[in-house]
Amino acid sequence: MIALADAHLHLASAGGDVNILRGIDLSVATGETVGVVGPSGSGKSTMMMVIAGLERLTRGTIEVAGTNLAQLDEDALARFRRTRVGIVFQAFHLIPTMNALENVAVPLEFAGNADAFAIARATLESVGLGHRLDHYPAQLSGGEQQRVALARAFAPGPDLLLADEPTGNLDGETGQRIVDLLFDLAARNGTTLLLITHDPAIAARCDRIVHLADGRIVTE
Amino acid sequence: MSADPGQSWRLAARLARRELRSGLGGFRIFLACLALGVAAIAAVFSTQAILDRSIAADAREILGGDVLVELVHRPASAGERAAIAAMGPVAASAEMRAMARAERPNETGAGGRTLVELKTVEDAYPLYGALETDPPLSHDAMFARRDGRWGAAVAPELAARLGLARGDTVKIGEARFEVRATIGHEPDRIGGLGLFALGPRVMISDAALADTALVQPGSLIRYKYRVRLPQETTPAAFIGALEDTHPDAGWRIRTLDESSPRLTRLIGRVTLFLSFVGLTALLVGGVGVANAVRAWLDGKIATIATVKCLGAPRALVFRIYLLQVLAIAVIGTAIGLAVGAVLPILAADLLAAVVPIRVSAGLYPLPLAVAAAFGLLTALAFSVWALGRAGDIAPGNLFRALVAPTRGWPRAPYVAATALLAATLAALAVATASDTRFAIWFVVGSAGAMVAFRLAAAGIAHAAARITGVRRPAVRLALAGLHRPGAATAPVVLSLGLGLSMLVTVATIEGNLSRQISDELPDKAPSFFFVDIQPDQISPFESLVAEIAGFERSAQVPMLRGRITRVNGVPADEAAVDPSGRWVLRGDRGITWADRPPAHNDIVRGEWWPADYAGELLVSIDERVAQGLGLDLGDTITVNVLGREFTARIANTRRIDWQQLAINFVMVFSPGPLEAAPRMYIAVVHAAEAAEDPLERRVTDSFANVTSVRVRAALETVAALVGNVGAAVRLTALVTLVSGTLVLAGAIAAGHRRRIYDSVVLKVLGATRRDINTAYVLEYGLLGLVTAVIAAVVGSVTGWAVVIWLLRIDWAFTPGAVVATTGIATAITVGAGLVGTWRAMGQKAAPWLRNE
Repeated sequence: MIALADAHLHLASAGGDVNILRGIDLSVATGETVGVVGPSGSGKSTMMMVIAGLERLTRGTIEVAGTNLAQLDEDALARFRRTRVGIVFQAFHLIPTMNALENVAVPLEFAGNADAFAIARATLESVGLGHRLDHYPAQLSGGEQQRVALARAFAPGPDLLLADEPTGNLDGETGQRIVDLLFDLAARNGTTLLLITHDPAIAARCDRIVHLADGRIVTE
Repeated sequence: MSADPGQSWRLAARLARRELRSGLGGFRIFLACLALGVAAIAAVFSTQAILDRSIAADAREILGGDVLVELVHRPASAGERAAIAAMGPVAASAEMRAMARAERPNETGAGGRTLVELKTVEDAYPLYGALETDPPLSHDAMFARRDGRWGAAVAPELAARLGLARGDTVKIGEARFEVRATIGHEPDRIGGLGLFALGPRVMISDAALADTALVQPGSLIRYKYRVRLPQETTPAAFIGALEDTHPDAGWRIRTLDESSPRLTRLIGRVTLFLSFVGLTALLVGGVGVANAVRAWLDGKIATIATVKCLGAPRALVFRIYLLQVLAIAVIGTAIGLAVGAVLPILAADLLAAVVPIRVSAGLYPLPLAVAAAFGLLTALAFSVWALGRAGDIAPGNLFRALVAPTRGWPRAPYVAATALLAATLAALAVATASDTRFAIWFVVGSAGAMVAFRLAAAGIAHAAARITGVRRPAVRLALAGLHRPGAATAPVVLSLGLGLSMLVTVATIEGNLSRQISDELPDKAPSFFFVDIQPDQISPFESLVAEIAGFERSAQVPMLRGRITRVNGVPADEAAVDPSGRWVLRGDRGITWADRPPAHNDIVRGEWWPADYAGELLVSIDERVAQGLGLDLGDTITVNVLGREFTARIANTRRIDWQQLAINFVMVFSPGPLEAAPRMYIAVVHAAEAAEDPLERRVTDSFANVTSVRVRAALETVAALVGNVGAAVRLTALVTLVSGTLVLAGAIAAGHRRRIYDSVVLKVLGATRRDINTAYVLEYGLLGLVTAVIAAVVGSVTGWAVVIWLLRIDWAFTPGAVVATTGIATAITVGAGLVGTWRAMGQKAAPWLRNE
């Protein structure tokens, strides 16, 4: 599903060039769940952005679901993400002006799916939010918002789900429920899962754990 | 690519609608700026449409007929009159200025007297509309001779000025008239006199005119023949027929299109100026629009990044936000149109008081459509830049919890779209203006001013960043406020600067005009012009005025009226002339002859003819007119004087100092051929103010046919007219300043959160309220002061250009306007800044610190 080879990324900044990724080789099989751990600044989020096609490598290659992302332009990458990649953020990033149903339907609408709203409704029901369809993000609790975000990520049926600290903004119990839901959805849909977390217990639930430090994979 | 459903306009519209549900909260300044500018333009254009339509609707009444044939100095010959009357019913009149004297002594023992606009009317008058008098009388009852007195209808102002009641006697020339009625409504007044009459109207019968003895060779009398054409006769056919039968009559024929050319021209001029002031208000509003869109999109960064993460392409992001901006722009424009359409209707009574026509107020779609186009184009031109950048927001920012606004240039298509929209806006401004050259200057000038203010803002920020070593924290904070990222410096300098520049320009122009009229002209101006002095009266006239105590000096010149009929042999109508020279060909002009150059005139090209010159007829012409008509030395012009054509070769050109208020002529001919024509003299008399009354009394008592024009009174009339126009312009200019203030308020509101946080942190660090206030007063005071200084320079330079090149009068710096502007700008910025700071200061520190 994911093939990163000799992945380098450096960014120019006012204080000089910063090497964020320094030669990462990572291969993730279809349906596999991978936990990514490491200290702040180790390059976890950047690696995830590279895999999502949101950041380009300075050197090396990246293939996701058999597609060489380096060959796609920005809009092609956007189209690729719509159906193939779901993303869940620590801060949820729901669209505040849309209700739960509309938030989940958006990627399906982008893809021109005529059943966007029916699928969105079913997905929200599957995460236990069938009674919250018309609620806006501001009217939902943190856990509910993250469940909407999960529904949004899973609704288009992506091959790959990227989750960046999905429980970072939630209390322990709510976080636990979200993680259960995340793994459950991934398993039910056969989705490959790449999960960034600081929580060793959550990481331990993955098939494999990757440790990053200073832009390199230190242990697998 | 177009097959991608993620790029469709429908999807963009759906998403835009969802976002708009959250309300228009962030768009108040956007709406206000746009609505204000559109309202100003819609009101100006609607008012023009209302006036034009009102004049057109009453054109027959205003002209007094379907066509009007006008001759100067002489009535139509029997043959000419017959040719005119063959086409339809005719109402003939003679119009001139004369002196009216009350027979009954006033308090000083002498009868009062005043200049009047005399008009003879026939039984057939008026052909269109109705003459309303109090009491209503038949033509005979009103004007016929009874007991040795002719009848007259007089304007109420005359009755008031001379203390006349019905039945009283007034003398005009040698004839005595009984006041039988006062005039309530004269249907063709505005077509005859325009807005500017030197005296009140008096109507008498044409039979009575002969008795006045005012009809002398060369007296300035306009004979007008108003004709009602049968339906099957077009004005063109009428003109063609008269030109065929009497090609050399030298008359001027006016049709319904030019029922009141002077008024229409004045309205056009005032509208042109006002519309530019309105456009400036809209441009200033555009800066507000740009700021509002930028601030709004800055608040949407997370949303935009999210939808991009979810697979929205750049074009879709642009479309979603473009459609929202368009929707808000439509609302703002609609509000502006509603206000701009209704204002002139509400002000119709006021309008009717200034312009004496029947004002038919109503809604006019075309001016509203033009204003709407201006509004929407402005909104788009000022938002596409920021919208283009929105598509560049990096979705990866969401992973870093970093939602920094993007700055810098958007991609090429958005830069091109902004340029195209700006060009379309400029083209619309030029296309809808009545004076293309002036409009181009306006477009170039306002673009230049915007660039200048933008550069000035960058300069201020740059300079503030370079100042180091300041020890007082308040000053350091103030300087930092001017150059920190997201500082209000650029929008405030640009918008407030533009608004203030317009205000300084208007104040400068008005200051120069009123100084010219109220202060300078009266010092240079003579006390009187005496008109229609017959050749045999010149010598007794000179002796008489010289005897009067307080008399200073006088000068007389012969004068005729003539109309230029050909330029280099080409009929005047067909001559290719510059618009600046067109006025000389319109109607008749005063002409004279002389053996030496007039005083206050400098020869620019060629040479004056010798004093004893007796050859071919030569003419000396005003340099600017020569340029306007494209004439060079040796070229010819042909003038028609009393039905005779005189062709003269141009011997030289002169620069005339019109401000001297001496007797100046555009055309001065060499002596000879013209001397044979019947002529009258015009005299200018300078006298002490105290001598004016006795001087006028003696002259008009001794020479009943001579008309005196009091220059002081005429200047007061002009000053009143300029004052009215000035008030309208000032009011519109104020809209520009209000727009600028709105932009300022928006910029300050945008920085509100930062200000709260700053003041909270400063308080935590031990700053007193006074310290913090000082910093903000300094920051905004500095901003206001610098903006005002630049605006004063830009406004003064623009004002100078208009005064020198357009108005062609002397320029004087008006420090009052500049000082007032500087004060206003500083007060507005400091005031607005302090209001914002006051609110920020009231915030409790703890929640902010916890949140941050």
